[in-house]
Parts: sequence; structure tokens; C-alpha cells
Amino acid sequence: MASKVSLKGKRKAGKGSKGPGERSACKCKCVKEWSTWAMKKAKVITHYGFIPLIIVIGMNSEPKPQLYQLLSPV
Amino acid sequence: MGSSVTHAAAPPPPPPSPSSPPSSVGLAAALPPKQDEKAEPEKVDWLNLPCPIPFEEIQREALMSLKPELFEGLRFDFTKGLNQRFSLSHSVFMGSMEVPSQSSDTLKVPTAHYEFGANFLDPKLMLVGRVLTDGRLNARVKCDLTDNLTMKINAQLTNEPHFSQGMFNFDYKGTDFRSQLQIGNNAFYGGNYIQSVSPHLSLGTEIFWLGHQRKSGIGFAARYNTDNMVATGQVASTGIVALSYVQKVSEKVSLASDFMYNHLTQDVTSSFGYDYILRQCRLRGKIDSNGVFAAFLEERLNMGVNFILSAEVDHRKKDYKFGFGMTVGE
Repeated sequence: MASKVSLKGKRKAGKGSKGPGERSACKCKCVKEWSTWAMKKAKVITHYGFIPLIIVIGMNSEPKPQLYQLLSPV
Repeated sequence: MGSSVTHAAAPPPPPPSPSSPPSSVGLAAALPPKQDEKAEPEKVDWLNLPCPIPFEEIQREALMSLKPELFEGLRFDFTKGLNQRFSLSHSVFMGSMEVPSQSSDTLKVPTAHYEFGANFLDPKLMLVGRVLTDGRLNARVKCDLTDNLTMKINAQLTNEPHFSQGMFNFDYKGTDFRSQLQIGNNAFYGGNYIQSVSPHLSLGTEIFWLGHQRKSGIGFAARYNTDNMVATGQVASTGIVALSYVQKVSEKVSLASDFMYNHLTQDVTSSFGYDYILRQCRLRGKIDSNGVFAAFLEERLNMGVNFILSAEVDHRKKDYKFGFGMTVGE
């Protein structure tokens, strides 16, 4: 879908006029690039932070467990 | 159903005294109200039908009995609860995993991994995370946004690019229907809807669209269940027909059978299995039309200590898999 929009934008630019088509193509590209960048960052954050998040939420739930219970096998 | 009630309530053998046994009379006195209820036909309240089972769990009884988690090698799971809602789990697996191969020979790769997991289980929020030694993360989140709306997130994240998968599910539960919307990576969109049509019968439909491969499909499912049996059928436009039938023979025993036909690959599989739920153990066994025999035993040795044995024998491919393990903790 995004590729079709950018093709239309390129054709309009080829005709010699910088119409609104090219600007909307740029916007779509920008939005797509930023959303891809955001998804990549979100994936890395989830990958490293999900288990620590569960541990933090769990250690703060009632009744509060002690820190040594996290590591000891008993 | 009436006959099973009388069989289950058979009076104990009479004591040797010549007088009439008081115990059977006592038992007989306790019985009649139950039989009277079953003799009267229950009036169906068509406006108050029960809420159906979620669409993805429509075959859950058959799956639980016929598809236990068979494994090959050693498995050790340790779950440590820190409080009622929060627990950590450690799991070690050493054995062979099957790698899908093009030829008919099975390709087994010896693997060993340690998996660390954390669970937080609240009535409104459930967080389950598992991370393996090779960096793979399995995350599951279930959140009750309102009384009827639930959001579920399921993700498998890997270090390799383009191999991660994620899925968002939004479930809405009505009085006698359930609907679900699914959004996944690779532009996967799906939805399903299931409706109770009578106190025993529910019908459902699902539709999905895969963006990257431009594939779409629609499917229909039906489930009929009574107290003692469950029969389900599923048909999909991908050419799959799946039928299953589970009969609860007694409190401890149930028998299940399953039939699957794939039109595109002209593949037919049917299996038949049993499920014994006894006080100290749970034994499941199954036999398949592909010549596969499998059994899975979970034996409770002590409070919280379970011993597991798994066996799968494939005569056609000459593939024999045996596994053993222990599970400590709830």
C-alpha cells in the first residue's frame, strides 16, 4: 500500500510539478519509518525489560516478599 | 444419563445379618430426589442461555486428553511461590528436539536449555514471562479492562531479526456470546464469534487475513456438550475438517477420539485415546492412524512433587521417544 503511494508521488514529480502528491508520499514514508523505528525500540525494551517488570510488580504486591526469597531455593 | 446415576449409586454389598440392610435403605432414601429431577424435562429459558466456551478452546477436552506435552529426554521444573500471586520458575531440559526436515526421516538435534520464568497472577492482571538461555522470550499478558472486555498479548521475541512474533487479542464476553478480535505481526488480522444457540449447542465462526501473503480464510465451528460428552466439529476454507468426540465414562475415566482431514495435502489422521484421572496420578494414552502410540503419566509422589513419564512410539518412521522428569512446586 505504501509502495503504491510512493510510486504515484514519483510519477507526479516526474511530470514536473511538486504537487500535494509528493508531500503526502513524504508524510507516509516518514510515518512508516518512525513507526518501524518505534516498533524496533519497543521490541528491544520488551525483550530486556519484561521479566524485570514482572519481578518489580511481584515484589511490590501484598504480602511483600523479602529480597532473599528471590534468590534462595527454599 | 439416568442409567449412569443408578450405576454410580449401586448400594454396597449387604451385611451378613438376615435383616434388611439399613445402609442401602439409607442410600435409596437419599437417591429419589435426584432421579425425580432428571425425570422431569427441564424448561429451556431461551433468553438466558449460558455463555459459550471461547472459540479457541472449543476442542479443549479433546486436546487435553489426546495431546499431552510429550517430550524426549530429561525435564525438571521447579516453581517457587513467593506469595499468593507471584512465583518464579526454573526449568531444565536436556534431550533431543525434532527439527522439521524435507525427507521422511526425522532429524533430531540434541539440545539443552535452562528456562527462567516469572509469573504474576492477579484476578485482573496476569503476567507470565519465560526466558531461555539462547535469549528467546515468551511473554503472555492478560488484562481485564472491564468486566466483559479482556485484552491478551502473546509474544515470542528472539535475538534473530524477523523471527519474532506477537499477537494482540481483544475479547468481548456477552451474556450468551463471545467475540474476539486478533491483530498480529506480519499484518495478521482475525476475528471470531461464538453464540449459544441452545443450552447444549453453540455455533461459531472465524475469519482471518494474512497481509504479507495476501491470504484470507473463513471457518465454522459447532460444539455440542452435555454433562457426559462433548462433540465438536470445525470446517475451514483452508481445507481442514476437524471433528472430535469426548465421552466421560465415569468420574475418573474419559475417552476421546479425533478426526482431521486436510483437503490440500490429502492427509487424514484419526486418533483415539483415554484419560484416567486418578487420585495419585493422571495417565493419558493414545493411538493414531499414522501408527503412533503415545502415553503420558503424571504421578504425584508427594505434595507438590510430580514424576512425569512420556513415551511416543512411531512404528512407521521407526522413531522412539522416551522422556522422564520431575515437577516440584505447584
